[in-house]
Amino acid sequence: MKTGLYISGLAHAALILWLLFGSLFLARDNEDLLQVSQVSILSEAEFAALSAPEPVSVAPATSTNAPARPQPPAPEPEPEPEPEPAPTTPEVAPADIDRVAPEAAPEPEPLVEVAPVVRDPVTPDQAGDVTQPETQATAPEAATTEIVTEVTETAELAPATSARPHARPNRTAPTPEPEPDPEPETETAAATDPLADAVATAVAEATEPSPVPSGPPLSQGEMRALQVSVGNCWNVGSLSSEALGTTVVVGVEMTPEGRPEIASIRMVSFSGGSEASARRAYETARRAIIRCGATGYNLPSAKYEQWREIEMTFNPENMRIK
Amino acid sequence: MSLHKTLNLARKLLLVALAGLAFAAPAQSEPLRIEITEGVIEPLPFAVPNFQAENASAGEMAQSIARVVAADLAGTGLFREIPSSAFISTVTSFSSPVQYADWKAINAQALITGAVSVGTNGKITVKFRVFDVFSQGQLGEGLQFAGSAGSWRRMAHKVADAVYSRITGESAYFDSRVVFVSESGPKNARQKRLAIMDYDGANLQFLTDSSALVLSPRFSPTGDRVLYTSYETGFPQIFLLEIANVGRSALPTPNGNMSFAPRFSPDGNEVVFSLENGGNTDIYRMNVGGGGAQRLTSAPSIETGPSFSPDGSQIVFTSDRSGTPQLYVMSANGGAARRISNGAGRYNTPVWSPRGDLIAFTKQNAGRFHIGVMRTDGSEERLLTASFLDEGPTWSPNGRVIMFTRESQGASGAAALYMVDITGRNLRRVTTQGAASDPSWSPLQ
Repeated sequence: MKTGLYISGLAHAALILWLLFGSLFLARDNEDLLQVSQVSILSEAEFAALSAPEPVSVAPATSTNAPARPQPPAPEPEPEPEPEPAPTTPEVAPADIDRVAPEAAPEPEPLVEVAPVVRDPVTPDQAGDVTQPETQATAPEAATTEIVTEVTETAELAPATSARPHARPNRTAPTPEPEPDPEPETETAAATDPLADAVATAVAEATEPSPVPSGPPLSQGEMRALQVSVGNCWNVGSLSSEALGTTVVVGVEMTPEGRPEIASIRMVSFSGGSEASARRAYETARRAIIRCGATGYNLPSAKYEQWREIEMTFNPENMRIK
Repeated sequence: MSLHKTLNLARKLLLVALAGLAFAAPAQSEPLRIEITEGVIEPLPFAVPNFQAENASAGEMAQSIARVVAADLAGTGLFREIPSSAFISTVTSFSSPVQYADWKAINAQALITGAVSVGTNGKITVKFRVFDVFSQGQLGEGLQFAGSAGSWRRMAHKVADAVYSRITGESAYFDSRVVFVSESGPKNARQKRLAIMDYDGANLQFLTDSSALVLSPRFSPTGDRVLYTSYETGFPQIFLLEIANVGRSALPTPNGNMSFAPRFSPDGNEVVFSLENGGNTDIYRMNVGGGGAQRLTSAPSIETGPSFSPDGSQIVFTSDRSGTPQLYVMSANGGAARRISNGAGRYNTPVWSPRGDLIAFTKQNAGRFHIGVMRTDGSEERLLTASFLDEGPTWSPNGRVIMFTRESQGASGAAALYMVDITGRNLRRVTTQGAASDPSWSPLQ
């Protein structure tokens, strides 16, 4: 499986090294060849002869067809767009715009998966149901129309921000090995060339094995699923109104099986309330992480390094009494 | 371009790319960050195994106390008790380690264990612990209360108060009382007298007989006195009653005019009330002991139902100066008032929340009565109830719950006390002996 990776790594390393140090062998030759004689000196007459005719030929063309001076090449294409694009663009443009918006909504898909979980109807008296710890009774005749969580939910279905573009994962393993061959040359070059030195340092740092997350980043759907999973256990019903005004950031380390390591759960920071209310908000958040993570969150194991450590911001803004 | 220049350019580009890579690498080692904005609002499941009886005489009391604690918590609507039939493990000793796995299995998120002992002098001691099952830790330290055997319910309420506070982060209201008007007889000939009870309806006591009509009792901030309106002199007059000895005295009002709708100032030294004078009703304040009367309003309309803000700086009241009863706020020393109710309908009986952030009121609109709350500037009005007749809200000591009177329709209709959370959830009737109206909630004892 990794043969291709190794070949690719070696090839890339060779290319990088050639780009870095290949020029050293050619540099001396080329330095000798460098001349300044390519700069030719023109007389005023020659310059005038070279420069005068062009503006003269261009100017009339632009002035007759378009007032915009900086668009001399425009005249020819313009006649064609006028008759044809006119009827087509009004139809195409709005249609495209309309289609884009609904397609941005694929986010609803995770919601559709999640909704049944949220709406699990469990009677309040089934507290003793051992097999369904997550399906607790919903607050009896509780929900009031004042808490318009559904409205805010739909508003937040689309991601507020696009996924952060993670850098490509490093292919670190193969590259350090081929380096020893050109090393002697690198050393000599480094002694004389600070640029090469800096590059070498950067290469070393970049290729150095580190606990960098591997694998592609979590998809929007995977992130959304995690949010919903934790949210399903984030019960703020017993929080004070002050604690409901407190946002807490909770850090947690995860096992490869997707379970939270309880001892690692900690409050990273809080805002919007007193320390006491933050404490209560943190306890509720902690309980949520532990409860719904007891059987392991549904996270892709191939991307473990991406979610090995998670910081969850519990923002009760939408859960407050309005 | 020469080969040399090309290579140099390539080297520089590579340098930039590698530098960028070098800087980008540490960013990736940061944790994954997600934001949770959608949770659930559900009662928190808890378990209260019977408290341990540490001696033989404490057996029955231990069970009773555990039941009261459970009822207090479950009654808030914020918690849901897991029945003992679902328990997997039993608590055999107050100090035995908690089998978290067993409680997790039944989804108990909070576990309350306790023990009761009865001393040779008859005094009882109640101690308890609260555990966060999923976090596998204790919430706060263990606590114990001691008192006479007759006050066991109160001790149970205190345990529940402590549990509530530890879980929610706010003060509770279980160890409190309610003074109200107890009603009997047919609807057209009701007999009314003052009564007092625990917030949950237990320990009922009557404070007055039914010889005279009584109205609008109001607790003092210290919970040891009650102001109320009585017709025992033939016209409405404000009385002050000492709960401890049930002694009462009429408040000397200016010119001996009709006075009603009294309420204590936050420091308990003054009373604000309505006084009828020549067909006009205005709001006054005076010392509880009499004297120092100060007229606060002077409009040619009916001003009544005054209630102090918790800091004593403002008063909210009802006035029909605009044609219909509406809510107004003015300085506690009188002066210009600003109208805060702007919805359709008639607003009455405003009461400032002990937290100071909300005002509860009665609203009559489109043939229905509502209990509602609004911000002190009149914004964010929310109606919590709707029925044939709801009126007279009073706040729990922590400002989380409102108790009020609900009267059913028809000749056989009777008044009853109800409670509702300020979210509009958990509406439930308060158990009383017979009909009841006009509740006033005491502070925590």
